[in-house]
This record gives sequence, structure tokens and C-alpha cells, in this order.
Amino acid sequence: MGEYLIRRTIQAIVTLFLVTVFTFALIHLAPGGPTQVMIAPGVSPEAFEVQKRNLGLDQPVHIQYLQWMGRLLQGDLGTTFKNNLPVGDILWPTVGNTLVLMIAAWLVTLIIALPWGIYNSTKVYGISDQFASIVSYLGFAMPTFWFGIILQQIFAMNLKWLPLSDMWTYGKQGDIGDLVMHLIMPVTVLSLGFLASYVKYSRASMLEVLDQDYIRTARAKGVKESRVVFRHALRNALIPIVTILGLDLPILVSGAALTESVFNWPGMGRLFVSMANAREYSVLMAIVLVTSVFVILGNLLADILYAVVDPRVQLGRKGGGSK
Amino acid sequence: MAEKVLEIRGLTAGFISDKGLLKAADNISLEIMRGETLCVVGESGSGKSVTSLAIMRLLDYAGGLIVDGEILFKGEDLTTKSQEEMGKIRGNKIAMIFQDPMSALNPVFTVGDQIAETLMIHQGMDRKQAMEEAIKLLGHVGIPAPEIRVKQYPHELSGGMCQRVVIAIALACKPDLLIADEPTTALDVTVQAQILDLLKSLQQEFGMSILLITHDMGVASEVADRIAVMYAGTIVEEGTVFDIFDHPSHPYTQGLLESIPGYETTRGSELYTIKGTIPRLGELPSGCRFHPRCPHATDKCRAMEPGSIQLSDTHRTACWLYQEEAGVKKS
Repeated sequence: MGEYLIRRTIQAIVTLFLVTVFTFALIHLAPGGPTQVMIAPGVSPEAFEVQKRNLGLDQPVHIQYLQWMGRLLQGDLGTTFKNNLPVGDILWPTVGNTLVLMIAAWLVTLIIALPWGIYNSTKVYGISDQFASIVSYLGFAMPTFWFGIILQQIFAMNLKWLPLSDMWTYGKQGDIGDLVMHLIMPVTVLSLGFLASYVKYSRASMLEVLDQDYIRTARAKGVKESRVVFRHALRNALIPIVTILGLDLPILVSGAALTESVFNWPGMGRLFVSMANAREYSVLMAIVLVTSVFVILGNLLADILYAVVDPRVQLGRKGGGSK
Repeated sequence: MAEKVLEIRGLTAGFISDKGLLKAADNISLEIMRGETLCVVGESGSGKSVTSLAIMRLLDYAGGLIVDGEILFKGEDLTTKSQEEMGKIRGNKIAMIFQDPMSALNPVFTVGDQIAETLMIHQGMDRKQAMEEAIKLLGHVGIPAPEIRVKQYPHELSGGMCQRVVIAIALACKPDLLIADEPTTALDVTVQAQILDLLKSLQQEFGMSILLITHDMGVASEVADRIAVMYAGTIVEEGTVFDIFDHPSHPYTQGLLESIPGYETTRGSELYTIKGTIPRLGELPSGCRFHPRCPHATDKCRAMEPGSIQLSDTHRTACWLYQEEAGVKKS
């Protein structure tokens, strides 16, 4: 296990390094730049060049990368071009806000999708199963921003039951009840998308397991049907679901840019959109870095969970554990 | 051998399909006495597994259903019982072991857990007692170092070991009847013999009856007291092991015996095979179901299905060849 973790950590460092190289190159390849945003009437070309030199933007891209990397290794994420604010001060609060939103959406999804999928697997093509199909089609087909705007129109504008946007009502920061009210709509939008897949995954996985010989053995032992489903079948059905959960974890951190923008949620996705427009390289790089770390941790977590639910998987043994 | 443990009367079971009811088992009647081993022999698709699943009432879960007939277990009709009532009988009074031991055990639970579960359900033991008993059972079915094996998962055991575990689960509650569906088919020949020996010795020890399902006449000859030969959903011949091996009467049984390598054939001669394949359900031929493959088929065989005829007290067959000799003596 120890050796396994060391190997995974080394893999992670290499991956992270490659991710930074590629994203740095991609971001700098994009047309426009931070200086263009600063162009204002009356700024002389000379002053413009001076500013560029001050910001280090006159250097070739690879030198800029090395400078950025050098600072990063000292724990410095850099500052913004515009106000010279430390990137960390901008970034960290949004990471927390995104996690609040996404974990809420994830929990709601799993709490609904797993039991629903399991139930449907025991009553295939029943009313509930058919209804789940309709919900799935809706979830896959509806654009999140459109669904979000519709919800806002109905529940915030017309009915005035829920706050239109943001994370807190002004002056009520820290009030959990207020947070929950703000969470309802964005979580609904996000959950519907996830729900669509997870009801189907859990149903399909259960159906496959319920057809296995060992389920017949359990019934032949006189095990009650409820115990057959929830003990003998579910443990096995969870194995592929855990894998999918791990693979979906990156979406947990990065995938909510649209929803965050629609609901003005002060998260990382919305920050990325606005910082991309402003070409704030150091913020963008920091977001990519944080997201990558989450991806790697997510995969590691999935692998460890995988070994927990499936005794046939042995972490650290050659060929086992990693995908 | 007086007490009938199981008596099947006119069992018809099968599956509903687009073409209507497919009778995988058609009007089957069988009896098993206490302490006796009955082998049901037949090719794949002859309906032997459906019959065994019907007795366990597990056919419901396999998408099938019992259409007609009675399954009397110690005088009680199992076909009218609810699944909840069957849950008290399954694994307790009637136990079953299956063809592929590797897939018959749940991969995410330890061997001990899977044995202990039966004991906890039927004998009301707590976990600790049940685990101690599981270790004893593992030793009993010939697994070395049972106190270590009990904590292992199925994938850590060989196929033969797994089948011993499956047998330990089945025997945990000392059942009156053990149904073994091709218990040795997935195993190596040497392991096969060990498992059959184990079943025989356990049968003598516990005095249980065994219904063994196999396609292998060799296996049947080793363990059976009586043999029932099934073909396309019906029993074509039934008798003691001596009746069947010494005086096979139905052409299908004769064909099965002749297809055993080394059975009344000389080395170097071509192995006998029964021509053709077993008919698919829903495409059964008219008359006798075996007539398209039968070397003795007559017009009568093509037109009418033969009834069962008693050749002796223990021996019956369903073939026109004998019905003509004995006159029309249907039973």
C-alpha cells in the first residue's frame, strides 16, 4: 500500500507538470493578451511597451513559463495583472464555494439516483422505470443554462419562493438556512444532469448482478429477497458505479461554469470564465492546477474505494488497482 | 427405503415467449426415497435444470413458471407455497449446488460469511457460533486449514475448493434433499471424482436423498441408485442403475450409452454419436419427440406420442417398440 501510494504520487507529479506545460502553451497561443485589456485612449505606445516589460510579457513564452514555474515551486501562485492582487486570495474562496455547490449536487444525485435505480432494477419496465427514462432524456437533452433560466423565471421572478442568484443574501453570510435556499435551484439544475446517468448506471449494474449465479445461490440458501437485493447484489453492483464516480469527479470541480454563471455563484467555474476574458494568465493557470489536483485525487480515491468494495482488487500488486 | 422424500406428479414448467408457452419440462413424474440417489440424465436443453429449479421454486426468478402438476416434498405441495414459505425450506430442508462453483459464490463476501449466513437464517445462530460452525463444516467437506480458509474470498480458492464450499453451504442445515445440478461439470476429472466421493460419503453420514443432474452417463453410473433419462422435456426411460446400464430399452438411452468412449466399443473404432440435435422448444416434432433421430422410427412414431410403459417394477420406458410387445398398456 505504501509503495503503491509513492508510485501514484510520482505519477501525479509528472501528470501535473505536463498539464501545466500544455495549458500554459494553449493559453498563450490564444489571440489577445492582458495588455490589450489595458489599452485606453491616451496611452502612448512607449508607456504600453514599458508596462509590458514590467509584467514580463515581452519575454518568449518558454521563459515566461520557467519564471511562472519558478515562483510556483516557492509556493507563489503570482498576482493579477490588473490590480496586482495575490492569485491565492482570489482563488481559494471560490474553490470552497464550488465544492459546497458541487458536493450538495452530488449528494442529492446519489441519494435519489441509487435507490431509484435499484428499485427500477427489481421492477423493470414498470411505471417508475418508464418515468426514470423520461427524466433521463430530459436531463440529457436540456441545456443547463436554459433550464436554470426557466427555474429562475418561475421560482424567483414569478413565485418569489427562492432567491434569484448568488450564494448568500447580503448581510446574511454564514446563515445556513439562507445558503440552502440559494442552493436549491443550482443544485436542481446540476442534479438533473447527473441523475440522468446515475439512475441508468445503477439500474443496469443491478440488473447485470441480479442475473449472476451467486444471486441464485443466495436464493437457494433461503435468503430473503430484500437481503438478496440489498446485501448480495448491491455490494457487487456498486463496483462499476464507484469507477464512474471517480471518473466523474473532475466535473465536480470544473464542470459547473455555466450553472455558476447563470446563478452568479461565486465559484471557480464563474471565476474561470471572467478571468479567461481578462486574460489573467496566472489565475487561469492556478485554476487549471487546482482542478488537475482534484482529478488526480479523485482517481486515487476511486481506486482506493474500488479496493474497498471489491476484495479481488489488490492495490499495490502489479496490474491491480490502476485503470 | 420406504419414505418418499420427494414426489413429482405431472410437472409441466417452462417459459412464456412470443410463440406462447414453451414447455421445458412436460408432464414429468419422479420419486425420490429417503437416502436414495436419483440421477436425471440428458443433453443440454432436455429440461433437467428447469425441473430442478422448479422444485426449488427458483424458476420464478429465472423468468419461468410452473404450469401444472404437484411437487410433494414430505407430503407438502411446494407449488402452492409462497416465496416466503419457500425461503424457510430452501437451504434448510432442500439445498442445491450448482454447475460452476467459481461463479456460484459471491465474490465480495468471505467463504465463512457465506456459510454462516445459512446457519444464521435457518438455525438462529449468532455470528460467532455460525462462524465456528462454518469452520467445522469446511473441515468436514475436506478443506485443509479451514480456520484460514474461512476468512478467504472465493477468488483465493481453486474450483474444486469452491465446490467444496458450495457443498458446505448446502449441507449446513443437514437437508433432507440435496439437488446437485451438474456439480462436477466445470471441474477437472480428478477433482470430479473427489467431489462425487465426498457427496457419497456425506450422503451416508447424513442419510439425505440426492437428486443429481448430469449429462454424463459415467457420473450417473458411479453415484446413482436410479436413473431417469430426459429428452426434450420428457422422461423417456427410468429405472435402477442396473436396468439402465444392463437393459437399456429406449433407443435414446441406448444411443447415450454407445456414445460413451470405451463402452462396448473397441479401441480404434469410430465413436458412436446420436445423429442430429435435440429439437428446440416450440419446434418439437410430431409424435415421439425422438423419432427424427431414432434408428427404429416407424410411421406410428411420427404420428403419435408414446405413453409410459412399465417393463418391470423398477423400469419404465416411453417407446412404441415396447408398447407393441406389451399391447396397449399405458400408465
